[in-house]
Amino acid sequence: MRPPEKVGRMKFVKAVALSIFVASLAAFAAAQSGGELRFCLRSEPKTFDPLKVEDDASVAIRYLTGGVLVRMNRQTQVLEPELAQSWKVSKDGKQITFKLRSGISFSDGTPFSAEDVAYTVQQLMDPNLHSPTGDAFRSGPGNVETKIISPTQISITFPAPVAGLDRQFDQVAILSAHSPKKEMAVLGPFMVADYQPGSTVLLKRNPNYWKRDAQGRQLPYLDSIRLDIQPNRDVELLRFKRGEIDLINSLDSEYFDKLGAASPQLVHDAGPSLDSEQMWFDQVSKAPIASYKKTWFRSPAFRRAISQAINRDDLSRIVFRGHAQPAIGPVSSANKFWFNAKLKPQTYSPDSALKALQSEGFRLENGTLKDKDGNAVEFSLITNAGNKYRERMAAMIQDDLQKIGVRVNVVTLDFPSLIERMTQTFDYEAILLGLTNVGLDPNEQMNVWLSSSENHQWNPQEKAPETAWEAEIDQLMRAQASSADPRKRKEAFDQVQEIVVEQAPFIYLVNRNALSAVAASVHGASPVILAPQTYWNIESLSVH
Amino acid sequence: MRSWHGRVWRRVASIVLLLVVGVSLSANWLAPEGYARQYREAASAPPSRQHWLGTDEIGRDRLARVLYGTRISLLLAPAAALLSTLMAALIGGLAGYLGGAWARVAMAVTDLFLSLPWLFLLITVRAMMPLNVSPMISVLVTFLLLGLLGWTTASRVLCATAGSLRNADFVQQARASGVPDARLFWVHVVPNLKPVLYAQFWISIPAFILSEANLGILGLGVTEPTPSWGSLLRELEGVISIGEEPWKFVPLVLLVIVVTSFQLVLSDQEQVAA
Amino acid sequence: MNETPQAGVLLSMRLSVRYGDRPDVLRDVQVNIRRGEVLGLVGQSGSGKSTLAMAVLGLLDRKQASAEGSIVCEGRDLLRLREKEFRALRGRKLALVLQSPLSALNPALKIRTQLKEAWRAHASGTPADCNNAVRLALESVTLPSTDDFLRKYPSQMSVGQAQRVLIAMAVMHRPALLIADEATSALDIITQAEILTLFRQLNRSTGMAILYISHDLASVGGICDRIAILHQGQIVELGTTEQVLTTPQHEYTRRLMAAMPKIPQPQISPQEKTEAAAAK
Ligand SMILES: Nc1ncnc2c1ncn2[C@@H]1O[C@H](COP(=O)(O)OP(=O)(O)OP(=O)(O)O)[C@@H](O)[C@H]1O
Ligand SMILES: [Mg+2]
Repeated sequence: MRPPEKVGRMKFVKAVALSIFVASLAAFAAAQSGGELRFCLRSEPKTFDPLKVEDDASVAIRYLTGGVLVRMNRQTQVLEPELAQSWKVSKDGKQITFKLRSGISFSDGTPFSAEDVAYTVQQLMDPNLHSPTGDAFRSGPGNVETKIISPTQISITFPAPVAGLDRQFDQVAILSAHSPKKEMAVLGPFMVADYQPGSTVLLKRNPNYWKRDAQGRQLPYLDSIRLDIQPNRDVELLRFKRGEIDLINSLDSEYFDKLGAASPQLVHDAGPSLDSEQMWFDQVSKAPIASYKKTWFRSPAFRRAISQAINRDDLSRIVFRGHAQPAIGPVSSANKFWFNAKLKPQTYSPDSALKALQSEGFRLENGTLKDKDGNAVEFSLITNAGNKYRERMAAMIQDDLQKIGVRVNVVTLDFPSLIERMTQTFDYEAILLGLTNVGLDPNEQMNVWLSSSENHQWNPQEKAPETAWEAEIDQLMRAQASSADPRKRKEAFDQVQEIVVEQAPFIYLVNRNALSAVAASVHGASPVILAPQTYWNIESLSVH
Repeated sequence: MRSWHGRVWRRVASIVLLLVVGVSLSANWLAPEGYARQYREAASAPPSRQHWLGTDEIGRDRLARVLYGTRISLLLAPAAALLSTLMAALIGGLAGYLGGAWARVAMAVTDLFLSLPWLFLLITVRAMMPLNVSPMISVLVTFLLLGLLGWTTASRVLCATAGSLRNADFVQQARASGVPDARLFWVHVVPNLKPVLYAQFWISIPAFILSEANLGILGLGVTEPTPSWGSLLRELEGVISIGEEPWKFVPLVLLVIVVTSFQLVLSDQEQVAA
Repeated sequence: MNETPQAGVLLSMRLSVRYGDRPDVLRDVQVNIRRGEVLGLVGQSGSGKSTLAMAVLGLLDRKQASAEGSIVCEGRDLLRLREKEFRALRGRKLALVLQSPLSALNPALKIRTQLKEAWRAHASGTPADCNNAVRLALESVTLPSTDDFLRKYPSQMSVGQAQRVLIAMAVMHRPALLIADEATSALDIITQAEILTLFRQLNRSTGMAILYISHDLASVGGICDRIAILHQGQIVELGTTEQVLTTPQHEYTRRLMAAMPKIPQPQISPQEKTEAAAAK
């Protein structure tokens, strides 16, 4: 109980409080309540620690809660300042210096400074912590050095050049060095308020979030985000139809059409994404397959002919109902800067494919293509069971290749056995799979193109490049990685794309479009091709 | 008068089955273009004069696929059922007849079989099979597997039945007539297992049809472009309401009709047995 | 009471049988069966009659029962025969007729099949030979051998017919010893008399010995030359029918006699007995 002599002051306090309340109420009404956004996570988030993130659900939560130094704008594909006002990468690609914003604090009120960045980077690179995010920075042996120049300035030096160093920080959510709440103290627009395993993650707006809109209003607009854990896509669609959720990221083309038929304003086709569907032949020299088949698979003319005999337009039009584009090469045209615009789509022509094969000694006999030793051309095409789009693509490829006398046996395998054949035993002939590209920069594809790499799928871990063109790709990829000049890098990578199209180690089929659905009640959404397609601009979304 | 109604229904059921078999056998004639032809300009089309049941996602005539798929599932399922029935008779029946350690071993094997993680094993089997297998072989292998694995459920009952027959008077009598053991089993014991064997046979047919459908969903069944009821049923994945494209449900309706007919014919067999 | 070996003996046994580790069911039972005689074996339920029959036929379950002693038949000890050799004897030298004809015939098989199987167990020949043998066997038990009849299932016959079919199967190969285990107990009194007469006839016409097992002293009297009384696994009395029925020695036999219903029994005249003896 308060002593009686303070009554007068109490009144004053009350009056002030009341006026503040009324004022804020007015502001509230003016901007309208941001409301609650609801959508589904397709799996259980494995961790809330941003450095340990690996799975998609955790990536989503990191995107919504984590504050980063720089952010790649998902729409313009340009890197933008966030917690860092500006940054500079050294010529050798080893060092990056950030100038930080001041006056920012974590969600729990702990102030943010260069110390936190240093702490985060040390944690990120701590070999005992095995941060998957940190892997992108581990380009060579040695320790990372962090140098705090001032509370708002820090330089970080890596033992070896890191490809696309500044972009990598898009993935690094800054932790607090001092907060007792550890990783639950965040700098992003939202913070985890409640987690019911198997059911929901509830995010509440971060009251200390630093960003303001053009009118000076604190972001984000939304009060909260409710993430329901729902692995079943059918249920997700049903719940969207019932209005129980507001967004669907990466929608299936079949669902897209179904939803779009009923309410076209709810679905968004953002055009081709970075993801590609591709097939390739086994070129591993020790693969346990017939040697005459290896001869075909190692022949660029054969691969090109197969590529030419596949009707990509039909694949996009029929399998993906038009929500895909015939793929041109290794880089999707959606990758604005890096796509080699000189490359033209592969024309579909079974006739010229056949002619090319004939000039290589193949011949068509009673509808069966035979090589020059009389072996009928037949191969198995593996894809993962349960993916109906790939199964349909396989059936269509089977039919297309039938026209040039090639017999394809479609085999669907469960994913683990497919991966085992692909990476361990090399006991396969051809594989049809999709590749999810998250990054735009060629450096993120280093592991695919270097002939010594494990992910050099058609012939992994070559001791030395087995062909001249692979050697050339190796050299070009290294050249672009070691250069800081974007023009030089692009030149090199353009050449890589040309070689890949010419040699067809991967036969690129289609780039799926980025399809999404957004409820009418969501304002400010403009879905893009890069993840998170619908809520990349989460700060400026509101629901009413 | 249950039996009168029963008889009429059974008659109807057998006529339906015969009709389905007959129509599917005339697939070559009814759908001369075959099940693999892709009408790419008319993919996912609704029923029309050219395609009575419309086309599937990649433009194949659904009617042709249903006809050929019916043929495959309906011819091979009984074959697999016969195989599994014979195996059940041999394993369950013989073990029960021999009794003692034999029966215990056989039942232990049966239990083991029943408790095995089949899904996992089948996936492994598929993964171990050679890759260049023609679709027809894949069909045969699938049903062969079903047949080879389907004996377990019946073998328990058969083992118990045969066990009770082992010391039946008529077996003792035959034994006392000097009938050798093997003949005793085949000539005297097996005919008395007939009711159980019949039941096993008739129950296995729809069960195998459905199993093949399930295997297909796992990517283990019949491979492209061959149709089977399994692959046809997969079209229904993700179909939320019947209203949109009712013709897609034809394979499902056909399956239900055939399975029900089998059950009706089966109830007939059970009555004979009783 | 024991018996000493004699000439004209078909089968001479000295037998103890035990199931598992329970007390002996048969304790040193000594019986001789003479050629051509009808020997009655009488005892109450559970006294071990069937056990004895099964031991003679080698059909005791070897895993459950253990038999000691010897059963000598034509110079061979049956207890020491291998299964294969024994099988050759069953149905050919030694035959069995069980109590309930309906359960002793296979319900799932036509009687033709069952008769053929019995024939085939010990003979080979053309189908005609087989049919002939089947016909003869049926005639010997005064059953019709028409196709119509042969097509029947056991359930389509009367009990008496079924029992005759069983007997036909048993005598098909003219065995030296027929064991009838309660072969008439399940029949009504008239049919019982018919079957008893049939046994007697077969005994006389073929000269086969019959071990006639029954719990009923009364029914045995009319057919047997000698009677053995089995009580608690032991033979307590063995003698000619007349001896046993008129001057029972053992207390237990007297009790059995007392329990006999007082109705006139079909007695065999001394003349008939001489005829039977002559047939041997
Ligand atoms: N398989 C067996 N296992 C254990 N005990 C048995 C077995 N068969 C018979 N017995 C026991 O042996 C004893 C004699 O049985 P058996 O069948 O020989 O008698 P029985 O004189 O033929 O009787 P019934 O007149 O009822 O046919 C009985 O106490 C019985 O319980
Ligand atoms: Mg008995």
